[in-house]
Amino acid sequence: MKRRTTELVYLIFAGVISTMAYVSVFTGRRGDIKTSSVVYGLIFVAIFLILHAVVRAFLSQADPYLLPLTALLVAIGLTEIYRIDPRYALLQGQWLVVGAVLFIATVLLVRDHERLDGYRYLIGAAGLALLLITIVLGSTVNGSRLWLRFAGFSIQPSEFAKIAIVIFLAGYLNDKKEMLSIPTSHVMGIPLPAPKYFGPLAVMWILSLLMLIFMKDFGTSLLFLAIFVALIYMATSRIVYVVAGGVMFSIGAVVAYHVVGHVQERFQIWIDPWTHAATTGYQLLQSMFAIADGGVLGAGIGRGYLLAGHKPVVPDLQTDFIFAAVANELGLIGAVGLILVYVLFCWRAFRVAIWAPDGFSKLLAAGLATAFGLQTFIIIGGVTRLIPLTGITLPFVSYGGSSITANLMLVALLLMVSHRTAVIRAGSEHERLKLAGIK
Amino acid sequence: MNKAIARIFLVGAILFAALIVNLTYLQVIHARALRDNPLNHRGLAQELKIDRGRILGFNGTPLVISVRKSGFYYRRYPQGSLAAQTIGYDSVALGHSGLEQSMNAVLTGQSNLLGTQSALDRLLGRRPHGADVKLTLVPAVQKVAQQALTGKVGAIVALDPKTGAVIAIASSPTYSLATVDDDWQRLRSDPGAPLLNRATQGLYPPGSSFKVVTAAAGLDKGVVTPTTIFHDTGTYVVYGGKITNYHGEIVGTIDFTRALTYSINTVFAAVGVQIGQNDMVATMMKFGLWQVPPLELPGGSVLASGRYEKGTIVSPEAKLNPLQVAAMAIGQEQLVATPLQMALAAAAVANGGTIMKPYLVQQVIAPNGTVVQSAAPQTWQTAMTPSTAATLNLMMQQVVNSGTGTAAALQGIKVAGKTGTAETSRPGVNQAWFIAFAPADDPKIAICVSIENVSVTGGEVAAPLAAQVMRAALAQPSLP
Repeated sequence: MKRRTTELVYLIFAGVISTMAYVSVFTGRRGDIKTSSVVYGLIFVAIFLILHAVVRAFLSQADPYLLPLTALLVAIGLTEIYRIDPRYALLQGQWLVVGAVLFIATVLLVRDHERLDGYRYLIGAAGLALLLITIVLGSTVNGSRLWLRFAGFSIQPSEFAKIAIVIFLAGYLNDKKEMLSIPTSHVMGIPLPAPKYFGPLAVMWILSLLMLIFMKDFGTSLLFLAIFVALIYMATSRIVYVVAGGVMFSIGAVVAYHVVGHVQERFQIWIDPWTHAATTGYQLLQSMFAIADGGVLGAGIGRGYLLAGHKPVVPDLQTDFIFAAVANELGLIGAVGLILVYVLFCWRAFRVAIWAPDGFSKLLAAGLATAFGLQTFIIIGGVTRLIPLTGITLPFVSYGGSSITANLMLVALLLMVSHRTAVIRAGSEHERLKLAGIK
Repeated sequence: MNKAIARIFLVGAILFAALIVNLTYLQVIHARALRDNPLNHRGLAQELKIDRGRILGFNGTPLVISVRKSGFYYRRYPQGSLAAQTIGYDSVALGHSGLEQSMNAVLTGQSNLLGTQSALDRLLGRRPHGADVKLTLVPAVQKVAQQALTGKVGAIVALDPKTGAVIAIASSPTYSLATVDDDWQRLRSDPGAPLLNRATQGLYPPGSSFKVVTAAAGLDKGVVTPTTIFHDTGTYVVYGGKITNYHGEIVGTIDFTRALTYSINTVFAAVGVQIGQNDMVATMMKFGLWQVPPLELPGGSVLASGRYEKGTIVSPEAKLNPLQVAAMAIGQEQLVATPLQMALAAAAVANGGTIMKPYLVQQVIAPNGTVVQSAAPQTWQTAMTPSTAATLNLMMQQVVNSGTGTAAALQGIKVAGKTGTAETSRPGVNQAWFIAFAPADDPKIAICVSIENVSVTGGEVAAPLAAQVMRAALAQPSLP
């Protein structure tokens, strides 16, 4: 089967699953929701068919599984958000349209991701600027300063900054990887590169510390430092950077624990939510109770106890805690299924990285995959109390405009890398010329 | 580079595997513990979506109803807070108490009583409809009992001695069921303990009201007859101690009937010693002491009467000296009883010696109107022989006709009763009692009134209240 046919078949499969989920919500909450909402479902199908058409036209050799997996995640998210509050689903639908436009714009304007490497510093500076703007002008929600209010919208610049910084680091580290991996000295028998090459690491460390202290968000800070450490490790294959990064983050975490009250509070809730059951631990406990209620099979989408009146029983259920809603209604089977969809997505993304012919492509795809997978782990681990809770979105599933648009751009970049790889490895003359922009 | 990328993916895969393991722990292994955690109110909150069944009075008057407000059902009390401690509250924050707790499965429609229909509904995900619970409580009588207790601390229990149906059960001070959530902090710290159901949880020294039990033992064992003559000197000396009469009275020669009529301590102390510990305790157990009366209330809401030491019940076999037996025979000596137990003692005499199992629930009515459960009166205890009961009945009538209980007399209706004024650990502070039944020749109601912290006698403070409640009950067109 041709790649795009495969993609279409799986897209249809995702569409069938989302239709079933929708029917379940509709029958489960009959009376609470309107029949006219079927229209949203059709919009969803239309958007992904358009994206498929764009990929078919411009990235014909791209990985065929990433887009259907994205569609499946978006469908699960939309259905669950719709079930929690149809108003949010309508907004999320509109954000999906914006995200689709940005996806298409990325494909049409960038065409070949190699061109991004030329704007490496500009993109890196833009990412940094987004973070700094948030630190200076951001507004605080749930104790973390991650939001920028702008013309009536709230955007979360860190979602976009994440991609920009991965692009920058992929280019920068690919250039400097040889220098970064040559040991020039030994400390206690451990070969170390020249101290000046620890400079970028120090910069990223300080950046993540600043984020921790000023944004008061452990998760975002951890995400950025981990992306960097993973990228420098993948670029150099030198474990010393991982160790150094780990030590640096630990120091930062200890400092933050004593300096930032919010971080300390989150940590204490993680250790013992029970004594704070009525106050700070309420959200996490409600999340755990809702997840436990799901059992193996779950109550069924639209049938779980998630709303008291019109109020979600777990605060922020449609955003950070959407996984608790999925685990409650789809049970262990559905929740593990969702986790496996993320694993599949990451597997395809890492596969794109491994197959890519050049260092920049590899680091770009692997960096994006790391960012995507780690963010997923941090939030699912948080709401299930595996790790301390921190407020970030579950990619494609959580309600949130910044999250869904930024992640659609991330998919566009991954598809671009995989298309280029396939063309270079086995493409036709026409495709190679097209890739080079010569036609 | 590829090797390092693969390693990063492997680390990620391990992290995701940890997520799955943790999730399995939460949803399967630890799920039950989380569900049963007292901090988890999901079950209670979900019940708010159920049209919780009504609680009705004996005549069908709704006492507690559910009203729908934006998809949730809330409790309303059309008759005000009647029998608050017995009916109990229904709150997401506090849970349930009283009948709201013990009848929860029926009220939420989840009981097996309601048949297969609700199981099918459950399968189809339909919300169950609660069944109505019809009580034996007669609202008009309940109101009189509550009004009688206004401003006093105590309890009244009235029941049908022939069936065991509880007609009224009041405890004072009481509280408002409708505002329990808001009042909770105050109610919990209130020294008057309004949340306590004094009718079933109040353990008080029964004093002279207990002479009914002693008399039953003496008559049953043939130790005394109504005409046995005693010589009272105002003091009964036994085992190095002494028992005196109330206010130090000396009555001289007196028969057993008049000894009950005027509640002569020395006579009953002597009779108790003559009966002996073994037979006294045996009769007490036949009256239901040392047992929890089987009322349809949650565990802990009804307490057993008997001898208590430091808050725990002492085995009935614990050896007593003769002074202790003498004191026990007049309802002292660490002997405590609930108002419910003493009402059952009165009911025993009224019903020819047989105590019927007390009950509060008359019927359970399914949402479709069919009665799925009806109370069937059952014998609980046989306290004495029918002839002893008949004799004691006549003797107790004398208490109301000419003795300490004249304040309980009703016009044109024979009333049998017994007063009690028990000394408490605080000097000058008494526990006032009155137990009675009426009409004495065809009993329809047996009652116990118990009032805490008074300086007067049971005949003065408790008997008039018993009269009010009995009058109200006997004026009803029908009783349970």
